[in-house]
Amino acid sequence: MVKESGQMVEVKPESAVALLKKTYPVVPDAAVILGSGVNVLEGLHNPLVLKYTDLFGHAPSVAGHSGTLTIGRLGTAGHDPLVAVLRGRFHLYEGYPWDNVTLAARTVVEWGVPRLLVTNAAGGLNLDYNVGDLMVITGYRDHLQPCWKEEGLLPAVMAEAVPCANAVTDTLLSVGSKLSQEDSRFRPLRQGVYAGLLGPSYETMAEISMLRSLKCDAVGMSTVPELMVCKDTGTAAGAVSVITNVWRPDEVMGGHEEVLEASKAASRRLDTLFRRILTSA
Amino acid sequence: MKLRHAKLIDFTGELGQFKQYSGFTPEVVTELRNKEKAEVAIIVDRAYCQGLGENVPYLVSDHLNLTGDNPLVGPNNPVGERFPVVNNIYLGAADTMDQEETWAIGNPLGKFATGVAAGLKAGVVPGSEEIKFLRELGASLYCYNLVPAMLVAAHAGLKVIGIALPQGESLSKDVLACLLR
Repeated sequence: MVKESGQMVEVKPESAVALLKKTYPVVPDAAVILGSGVNVLEGLHNPLVLKYTDLFGHAPSVAGHSGTLTIGRLGTAGHDPLVAVLRGRFHLYEGYPWDNVTLAARTVVEWGVPRLLVTNAAGGLNLDYNVGDLMVITGYRDHLQPCWKEEGLLPAVMAEAVPCANAVTDTLLSVGSKLSQEDSRFRPLRQGVYAGLLGPSYETMAEISMLRSLKCDAVGMSTVPELMVCKDTGTAAGAVSVITNVWRPDEVMGGHEEVLEASKAASRRLDTLFRRILTSA
Repeated sequence: MKLRHAKLIDFTGELGQFKQYSGFTPEVVTELRNKEKAEVAIIVDRAYCQGLGENVPYLVSDHLNLTGDNPLVGPNNPVGERFPVVNNIYLGAADTMDQEETWAIGNPLGKFATGVAAGLKAGVVPGSEEIKFLRELGASLYCYNLVPAMLVAAHAGLKVIGIALPQGESLSKDVLACLLR
């Protein structure tokens, strides 16, 4: 199915949903799409693992994205929440068309899953942020849709950020706030606007300044397609960025070990956050 | 940086000593990726400054990619990294000549205005609202070919001297001599 250029043909969420329904009789209570390097919700009870190649006809080509969908319960009881965890995603910068990039999210919507949590690794623009912070996305900017290739990016840059206001985002914020009150080691969550850029090159300093003047708090190359797909559907989607670096021109970046350790600690906090949200009604 | 083997890319049609391109085409990509001994690409493009900056030649200090696209989208070419860092790629005048040489003969590039280039999609002409917005974002000019060419050059490991010339202008003899020495 994959052409040599990395372009895809004929992809429909209906066929993925048909396979999912045939394999697993119950629609999950929630789905989670994980970005690279984010390890959460491991060890689900009675897991069923499906490969993206079987489900979607192809797998992500980026290292660190495994390309699996795991269905399982958070605990051993039959009433424990049933969760579908999608590890890996398709990116526009790889050359995949919009239909492929949005396929996982469209499948979640078509499947009738009421709640979707999305994660990504992002660069911090807000100078108050630190490596390893978790930022709940309360708004996003679309600088990556293929239509901008036809029009140029000016209309996108001049548009307002899209608010990400729904029950899942509210729950992320309220549960995060409770967790940091209960445990001083649980770093308070950040909340802010995520700029979704096409990539694959990182931003220039002039672009960083531009995004700051557009009041963006973090920048990355994913997640916006998923949030756009779920908007105004029966699936409420909320997203969290793991801040892996902060753009400061005068600051020496932390060593690789430091960043890795910060990401691990962030994954642990994200795991706590997600488990708590998924078990709250 | 040594300019001796620099890639010479001209989008203005004015510089006979450079390789001529009518726009950002696959031939530009091929030329930039065929590195040979080059450390630097000298890319000259048309500048449109109306409402933004002065109508003078610019040495580009940085850019905003507002083309809506990126030439590096697709399977990664092994000439460079999957996620290239494209900061500090544009050379300033002082980077092109050592101090002794500057004292001896002077650096004509040092007299150029410097500014941020907004890279727009080829053919897009911004209206007054858009010009105002571009100015707020810090742009001194807009151009069509420099930004995608720079991204390919940076991915291939080259530094870039980005020059943007107003309509109808060419480079003076002393600047050309400095770039081609």
